[in-house]
Amino acid sequence: MTGVTATTRVQEFIGDPLAGTTPVAREKLEEIFRDIQADLRFDHELNGCLNCGICTATCPSAHYYDYSPREIVQLLWTENLEGIYDAMQEKIWACAQCYTCAARCPFGNSPGGLVMLMRETAIKHGMESAKNVLRPFSRVMLKLISTGNQLSPDMISKDAFPDWGPNISKVDAPLALLRKAIPVPTLHTTKTAWEVNLKTSVELYTIWEETGVLESLKAVDPNLFDVIGDIMDEKRDEYAEWLEEQEEETT
Amino acid sequence: MSNPDERTASERFTGHGAEWKSAPLGAKDAQSATAWVEQIIDRRSMLTNKDRVADVRDAMWELEKDGEILVHRVTDEHRPVHVKTLYGWDKKIPTTRLWHHKSCGQCGNIPGYPTSLLWLMNQMQIEYLDETDQTSCTAWNYHGSGIGNVESLAAVFLRNFHQAYVAAKAQGLPDGYYYPLVHCGTSFGNYKEMRSFLMHSAKLRERVRKILGKLGRLVDGKILIPEEIVHYSEWLHVMREEVAKRRVIDCSGIRATIHPACHVYKMIPEDVIYDETVLDGNRVAVSTGIMQTLGTQVIDYSTWYDCCGFGFRHIISEREFTRSFAIDRKIRVAVEEAHADVMIGHDTGCITTLDKNQWISKADGRPVGLPVLADCQFAALVCGAHPYKIVQSHWHASATEGLMEKLGIDWRARKAEFEEYLKDVAAGRGETLYDPRRMITSGPGFKRVGHAG
Repeated sequence: MTGVTATTRVQEFIGDPLAGTTPVAREKLEEIFRDIQADLRFDHELNGCLNCGICTATCPSAHYYDYSPREIVQLLWTENLEGIYDAMQEKIWACAQCYTCAARCPFGNSPGGLVMLMRETAIKHGMESAKNVLRPFSRVMLKLISTGNQLSPDMISKDAFPDWGPNISKVDAPLALLRKAIPVPTLHTTKTAWEVNLKTSVELYTIWEETGVLESLKAVDPNLFDVIGDIMDEKRDEYAEWLEEQEEETT
Repeated sequence: MSNPDERTASERFTGHGAEWKSAPLGAKDAQSATAWVEQIIDRRSMLTNKDRVADVRDAMWELEKDGEILVHRVTDEHRPVHVKTLYGWDKKIPTTRLWHHKSCGQCGNIPGYPTSLLWLMNQMQIEYLDETDQTSCTAWNYHGSGIGNVESLAAVFLRNFHQAYVAAKAQGLPDGYYYPLVHCGTSFGNYKEMRSFLMHSAKLRERVRKILGKLGRLVDGKILIPEEIVHYSEWLHVMREEVAKRRVIDCSGIRATIHPACHVYKMIPEDVIYDETVLDGNRVAVSTGIMQTLGTQVIDYSTWYDCCGFGFRHIISEREFTRSFAIDRKIRVAVEEAHADVMIGHDTGCITTLDKNQWISKADGRPVGLPVLADCQFAALVCGAHPYKIVQSHWHASATEGLMEKLGIDWRARKAEFEEYLKDVAAGRGETLYDPRRMITSGPGFKRVGHAG
C-alpha cells in the first residue's frame, strides 16, 4: 500500500475537511489568538503539556463528542492558529465546564478555563458558531441581564422541557399560588427566582456596561441587545422616579 | 492507608451497606485490585500539586497590610468552627449571623432547598438575613454562553459580598455583622476563582475598584474581600452533630449515594473540607458527613467522581448529552451497583439534572427512578420538617414518595395537608420562616425594622 492510496482512502471515506471552506487570513487568526492570550487568566490556565491525556480520560464530554481537552491545550500550547480557529467553530462548545480536567492536570492547566477564553473570543469576533450555539440560551441571557436572576419559575414549562415528564409540580395548583406557599418570602415570585430589588438591578446594569458585556451581546444577538436595552432604560427611569420621590419627601 | 485485612468493619474505606462482604483476596491482591482507585481518583492525585499551590489568603493578608484591600473577617461573634481543607490548611466556617446568598436555580426550580436550610437554622436558633438586594453570581450564564468576562464576574462577586457586609445597617447594626453564606455550588466555585484572580492581578483589582466606586460599593476607598468563602454545605457539615440531635426519624435503613459537585470540590480543590472521620478523609467531607451522622448507610459507587451532566449550556440546548450522562453514568449506576434509596447532592445544577432527567429513561424501555435531594432537604425531612410545606418535595420529578415510605412518612396524608393549606395561602394566611419586612434593606419598599435578634 502506498501513501497515495492512503490519501485516496481518506478522501473517499472522510473527505477533505477543508473542502468548501474559505481560508482565513493569517492576520485574522493572529488577532484571534492575541485576544485569547491577552486575557490575564491565560498564563494561569496554561503552564505546559506533556500530552499525557489525563484530562481527556476523565472528561465527560469526551465520552459523547469529538472533543478532547488535551487537544485544546495542545493547540494553544503549540500556537496552532488554524487549529485554534477550527476548534472555535464547534468543539469548544462541547465542554461541560466541570473542571475535572483542571483538578487532574499534573501541570496545573485548566483546559476548561482555556475553553472559556476561547468562547469569550468567539463571541467578541461574532463567530457564526457562537451565534448558532447561543440562540437557545437567549431566554437565560434576557432574564439574567435584565433582572440579575438567571432562572425563574416561569421558565420551567412542559413545552420548554418535555423530556422532564408531565409534572412541573406533583401538586396541581397555579404556579403563583404554589410559589406563595413557599415559606421564604423572597421566593413569592414567578418571573424571577427571588424578588430582586430594583436598586440592585440598576447597579448590575452599570457592571454590564463598564465591563463590555453588552457589547459582547450585541456582537452575537443584536435583537436581544435591543430588547434588553429597552428594559434597562425602563427600569432606570423607574428607579430615578423613586429617587426623586424620596427627595421630595425629605424636602 | 492501612492493610485492609487488619482493619475493623468500622474502619472500612467506604460504606457498603449491611450485606457487604469482603472479597476473598489476600492483602497483596486486594491492594493491587484497589490501587488504581487510590492512585487515580482519590484526593491523593490532587495532593501531587501540594508543593506548588499557594494559599490565596496569604496574598490577601499582605494586600490588606499594604492598604490596598479590606478583609471582611469571620469574627468570634460568627461563632466559627475550624475545619481542615485538602492540604491540612485551616478554614473558618461561621455558624451564625449569616447572610443568605441565594441560588437562582434553587430558588427558581428546587425551592425546598433553601427553605429546608432556613428551617434547620430556625430549629437551631441561628441568626440570619435573607434579603432582596442580591443578584445571581451570573456564572451559570457565563459558563454556558461565554457572555460575561473576568471583570464582570469579579465585580458581581464584590458587589454582592459588599452588600452582605453592610446589610445589617437596615437593622441599626454595624458593618460586618452578617457573614455571607453561599447557597450555590457554581457561585461558590466562581467566587473562589474570582478571589484568586483578584489577589493575583493588580490590573483586575484596579479595573474592578473603579466600577465598585461608581456603585458606592467600596469601604474607605478599598475593595472588600471575604476572609473565607463559605458554602452552605460546609455550614451543614460543621453543624451535623447539632442537626443529628434533632433527628426524629430513624434513617439507618436508608442507603444513600453522594454526588459531590464539580464546582464545589474540583474548581479550587485546596479550599475543600476533608475530614479524617468521614470515609478516612478520602472523599469530600460535606454531604457524606451529615448523612453518616444522621445514621444512613453511605454507599460508594464507581462513578462518584463523574460530573452530573449539567454542562451549563447542555441542559438547555444539548439535552441528549445531559440526560444520557445523568442516567447512564450516575443514576443507573447508583441504582444497579449501590442499590441506593436516594442520591444526595449539594449543588443546584446537579440536583436539577439528576432529578429531572429520569423520566425520559422510559423512552428506551429501561426506566430508572431514584429520589434526588439536597443534603439539607434530607436532613430537614428526618428532623421532622413537613415534606411539602418545608421540603417542597412536590417540585421534584424523581420518585421521592418511595423514600418517604421507607422513612415511615405517610406522604399521602402530608400531601393532603399541604393541598388544604393552599387554601390558607390563597386567603393570604400563608406561613413564613421569618418576618417578611426584613427582606428589603434599602431602595424601593424599604421600611426600617428593628433587630430581631
